[in-house]
Amino acid sequence: MKFGIFYEISVPRPWENDIEHEVYHRCLEQVRVADEMGFHSVWAVEHHFLEEYSHCSAPELFLTACAMQTKQIRVGHGIVVCVPQFNHPIRAAERAAVLDILSDGRLEFGTGRSATWTELGGMDANPDETKETWDEYTRTIPQMWTNERYGYEGRAFRMPTRAVLPKPYQKPHPPMWVAVSSPGTEIDAAERGMGSLGLTFGGFAEQEEKVDRYRSRIRDCEPAGLFVNERVATVNFLYCHPDNETGIKTGSRLTGSFGYLAAQLLPVREVHPTRSYPNPGLLAATRQQAAQNPGEGMSAPEGVCIGNPDRLVEEIKKWESCGVDQINFLLNALETIPQQEVLDSLRLFGEEVMPHFVDDKPATTSEPRELAASAAAGGD
Amino acid sequence: MPINGNADPGQLTRYAPTMPNLDTEALTLPNVKVLQVIYEIDDSVMAELLPPALHPTIPPTMHVIGLRADEGPLGAFTLASVRVGCRAAVRPRGLPTRAVCTEGAAATALEERWGFPITVGEPVLRERYDRQSIEVNDGNVAVLSAQLVDPVPIGNGDLLYTAGMHVANVERDGETKPWLVQVDPDFEVSRADRGAAQIDAFDSNFWDAPDLRPVYPIIASYTTANITLPKIRYICDPLQPAISGTVAL
Repeated sequence: MKFGIFYEISVPRPWENDIEHEVYHRCLEQVRVADEMGFHSVWAVEHHFLEEYSHCSAPELFLTACAMQTKQIRVGHGIVVCVPQFNHPIRAAERAAVLDILSDGRLEFGTGRSATWTELGGMDANPDETKETWDEYTRTIPQMWTNERYGYEGRAFRMPTRAVLPKPYQKPHPPMWVAVSSPGTEIDAAERGMGSLGLTFGGFAEQEEKVDRYRSRIRDCEPAGLFVNERVATVNFLYCHPDNETGIKTGSRLTGSFGYLAAQLLPVREVHPTRSYPNPGLLAATRQQAAQNPGEGMSAPEGVCIGNPDRLVEEIKKWESCGVDQINFLLNALETIPQQEVLDSLRLFGEEVMPHFVDDKPATTSEPRELAASAAAGGD
Repeated sequence: MPINGNADPGQLTRYAPTMPNLDTEALTLPNVKVLQVIYEIDDSVMAELLPPALHPTIPPTMHVIGLRADEGPLGAFTLASVRVGCRAAVRPRGLPTRAVCTEGAAATALEERWGFPITVGEPVLRERYDRQSIEVNDGNVAVLSAQLVDPVPIGNGDLLYTAGMHVANVERDGETKPWLVQVDPDFEVSRADRGAAQIDAFDSNFWDAPDLRPVYPIIASYTTANITLPKIRYICDPLQPAISGTVAL
């Protein structure tokens, strides 16, 4: 089991007195502590226009700052929006390669397509086309990274042959992930040999089913990149406190605030009927459990990592038994929890929870045919 | 925390009905034609359009809805309404500012049993192969003309209709005052089209929302559906956040 931290970078109103500057620098301080405690990765979303919920519109810059201030922790795009109106694929490939170089090969490359009208409408992108453009990006970006020169004529974009530079530091390229929010997207990840970067969570049973489907399908995958990244990550909240009741009470403030805030945005599904978005998407399920009563919840929903170290160990063991390889934690929303408490929570988690979990799986795995052979031999 | 509405509920009630009671039974209207035209609206006034109980969505929206029932327990009728998209705590909702309904049993029932802010008039829902439209005139002046242009079929399950929060005067504990009445109809869709949204005429004063200004089209849909108007299950104090001001009946 690996542990990461996950940033939306939520900034409360009023947006004055340098609040965005303060929040960004608090996040960087948290990342430095997470690095010291041995967390595996820091992830940053790409969101646009999501007032208070996420002011993280240039994650490559935030992640570069993270990389420059840390030694071990990997830096993850969670995710790059693979829609031309947001990011041209060449620019996405170039920026990622630079980040990989500057971080000395610590980049995890998450991909996705946005799920809100707030963003897609704001960028004048057509929600009907985002699945197709995402697919093209995931096929072509690894080619840009690994071929000296590359040319392409496709649906979302075209380019005459050019050298896309620089090339990533990791060879053949950084591990690739897919944002998994809607049910069934884990199959998309598996079929392309990419990691499943969960951005929502249901209960243990639902997660176990998702993992089973993912593991089963990835054995026959056609990798989008040059290797298979067989990993399942899920997202969670983290507030760890020596006193369980205090931990749950404070953590419930966090989960409630996050969920309440997210609900104010406009999912594609609500205003733009399309088969491309059959479910509310990334902003829905994570908040469902939490959003009922912000600030007043006193019991922790199943699997939510708030409470004392013993409770967190117990919950994480359950996630582990579901087949989850990595949990990425949201640490704050709307600055609900004071910075010192966030840092104390991270340190307590690092000292008293992380030692219970062995980090024994390599970051990347093998070719699909080797996975199939391993399965036939009864291995995993 | 999110932006709250700041409108005085008293200013939102010019067409608000008085509901004699809240003991409404559910009622199914068969094969109703439903046109919904959704626009983003001028965000500078989004808080002024809603009471403190509700939050504007980001971005703020309006829904123009046209209904035509050719049969059913309320007889044939046509309804046009304008709603402001919003949230009651975390729930997607729409706040009607005014509705115009053809005269008859439907107008009375929708007003008294479900709290629609009804004015009797002559809305017209037109169905063409290349477009569907809802039109309302006030005298000789067009106060609403909204269309779906270039319809294409979509899946019946692709659509999501949000519930309404209807401002109505309701007596509770001996006091009659404005409440938000939650009306969450069930839509059983048998056919659905989607197309470009287009508003050609909109008189915000007529629709009792002088600052409401559609600025950016999102999409329009046109469906045939069995609509079940619900029992009233919740009401909400318009002056309190919905999370604390909602009362289960």
